[in-house]
Amino acid sequence: MSPPSLKSAIELVGVSKDYRLDRSTSVKALDGIDLAIGEGEFVALIGPSGCGKSTILRLLASLEEPSAGTVKVAGGPPAALAAAHRLGVAFQDHALLPWLPVARNVALPFQVAGRAVDQAKVADLLRLVGLTGFEAARPSQLSGGMRQRASIARSLVLDPEVLLLDEPFGALDAVTRRHMNIELQRIWQERGTTTLLVTHSVDEALFLADRVVVMSKRPGRILAIHPVPFARPRLPDIMRAEEFHHLADRLTLALEPESRAA
Amino acid sequence: MGRASQIVYGALGVVLFLAGWEVIGQYRLAGLTWPPLSTVIEFLGTSSRWPLFGRALASTMSSAATGFLIGVSLGLVLALGVHLLPRLRPGTDRLAAMVNAIPAIALGPILIVTFDRAGTPAALAAIHVFFLVYVAVSSGLTAAQRAQQDLLTVLGAKRTMRLKLLEAPAALPAFASSLKVALSASILGAILGEWFGAPRGLGVIILNAMENFQIPLLWSAVLLAAGISLALFGLATWLERAVHRRFR
Amino acid sequence: MTRHGLSQIWGILLLFLAWQLWVTAGAYNAIVIPRPLDVLADLVTDPSAYLEPTAATVLVAVLGLALGTLLGAGLAIAAWTSRVLAGMLTPLGLVFSSVPVVCLIPVLARLFGYDERTVLAVVAVITFFPCFVFTAAGLRATPPMTAELFRSLGAGRAKVLHRLALPAAVPQMMIALRVTAAQSILAAMVAEFLMGTGGLGNLFAVSHTDFKMSRAFGASLVAMVLSTVVYAATARAERRVRERWT
Repeated sequence: MSPPSLKSAIELVGVSKDYRLDRSTSVKALDGIDLAIGEGEFVALIGPSGCGKSTILRLLASLEEPSAGTVKVAGGPPAALAAAHRLGVAFQDHALLPWLPVARNVALPFQVAGRAVDQAKVADLLRLVGLTGFEAARPSQLSGGMRQRASIARSLVLDPEVLLLDEPFGALDAVTRRHMNIELQRIWQERGTTTLLVTHSVDEALFLADRVVVMSKRPGRILAIHPVPFARPRLPDIMRAEEFHHLADRLTLALEPESRAA
Repeated sequence: MGRASQIVYGALGVVLFLAGWEVIGQYRLAGLTWPPLSTVIEFLGTSSRWPLFGRALASTMSSAATGFLIGVSLGLVLALGVHLLPRLRPGTDRLAAMVNAIPAIALGPILIVTFDRAGTPAALAAIHVFFLVYVAVSSGLTAAQRAQQDLLTVLGAKRTMRLKLLEAPAALPAFASSLKVALSASILGAILGEWFGAPRGLGVIILNAMENFQIPLLWSAVLLAAGISLALFGLATWLERAVHRRFR
Repeated sequence: MTRHGLSQIWGILLLFLAWQLWVTAGAYNAIVIPRPLDVLADLVTDPSAYLEPTAATVLVAVLGLALGTLLGAGLAIAAWTSRVLAGMLTPLGLVFSSVPVVCLIPVLARLFGYDERTVLAVVAVITFFPCFVFTAAGLRATPPMTAELFRSLGAGRAKVLHRLALPAAVPQMMIALRVTAAQSILAAMVAEFLMGTGGLGNLFAVSHTDFKMSRAFGASLVAMVLSTVVYAATARAERRVRERWT
């Protein structure tokens, strides 16, 4: 599935995930997922609600175990990468610690890894997400969008090898979202972080990703993988190109029957 | 209701209560055993009695403090232990609950034999404080949200890191609240423990005054105990609020 | 199943074992501390001696609980209907809840005399404060929007109370019940011990004076078991109510 010349940073082979609801019933979240993502690739994951996109991320983040199949990240189990502090994650729940000011929250990965905090890097990332001036604020004093941005900054602070993002820009307004997309592309191009982005926005997926994976409704299966042909670096005006609209329509259409039936 | 009117009504309530106390006492509405407030204040205010009250108060408070410190330490240690070794949790929970439920009367003889009559107040206080702190902290250490626990997993946190950076701060509000209740419990335990034959203390004064029908002395000692308890409770509430604001 | 049971009670079993060892090793005279097996033996061989005191303690505890709950809830409702009253009672309630309750026992003893009335009063007083505080909190927790709805429908205060506020307060009242019910048994015992009236507390005192330590500790054991059972039952009831009510 991935271009043969790139080494796989993420590999899901025959992965299924069942969740037990009670003693007699269980629900199948994922069914036979095969996906390989090359080192330095940017892949977007789109699909209807409840299709298991977040489950895939949780499997890759070592928060869950697959019921069947294997999950490999950077050639080993996800837990290994997490233990080595080389995994960056920004989930929908920002999980900022309410008793720490924003700067300390963003610097948390340093503390967990037992390293000295690189204040310059923290400041740099805060500037990137537009939170300069809020270093001493508490999460409870921030808006939902701002907390989301802090969570993104935190995910990048240790220069992770693999970056997992679950609708990180969902709480942001359109303008800020556009700005964050541009910044994310810039960071990705600078660092070459293998990135998997779950999003509801087809435009966002097409702007950022090398490939877009379309998933079916539950139980989640991969319906199609569309390579994105636009050259890098992509400028915002690419979204006005005809080919962009064409692809976006195709993807939206691919999602439609699934979303309707879901 | 605005803040100002709340304070006014609150003060009014207290004043009415004190006035009622005085009236009931003056007109013997509840018999001879309910003295007027003025009598009690006068009794307490007699400076010649202060050495007596002072010694008794010091003894009770030191027992309470000792019991408090021991109980808190024990509670913390056991809660941490049970948190790190979860398999021991059910058994320890039951044991702690059972020890806490032993009637004070039954504990009395055991404690006298083990700790001596002078040490019983502190020991009794320690038992009740221990239980309060243990329950609060052992439950508080699990109070961190699912998403926060996941975050620490993803960041590759080791057990001790997770405890230090997430679970302990998350437990602080519950711990602070338990300290507030434990403060009252330690004073209560100390006074009750003194009834088992301690050499001195407010509890001793109260019991003797009851048996010897010394009404003003009885009410004075009770008022003193209540006053100290209230003051400490106020302090503890202020501390608790501060912790809750910071750590929630 | 048995492994699960063992994981729960290993602590208690350890305590009993330690107790047995301590008494034997310390060579304590049975006059001071009885052996746990002797206590159990007395309970099993002569249960009738415990029956009447247990009934007496349970009765006074239940009555005191009922009285305290009625007064506490009643006052909380009164405070709910009148802002002025609420304002006046709140600081008073706080003041009283921080007073060491045991201190009140001698005062009540002198007020009511050395008889059952004091025991009843003690239990009622211990029950009253938590019940008042929790019921008041529960009443205040009435979802505000629905209260407005009722008022817009022209429902009077009594109806709002009956249909809305009281049901909303029930979960909190159940917490108060859990807290006070188990306490009531133990509080009754302390009061009985001091007052020399009937009940388990008195059984303890009398047996203690006669050096019948097994019986004395047997009385304590009964009180403990009662208190634990009551706590478990009220905790379960509270959970059940919470599940159905919220």
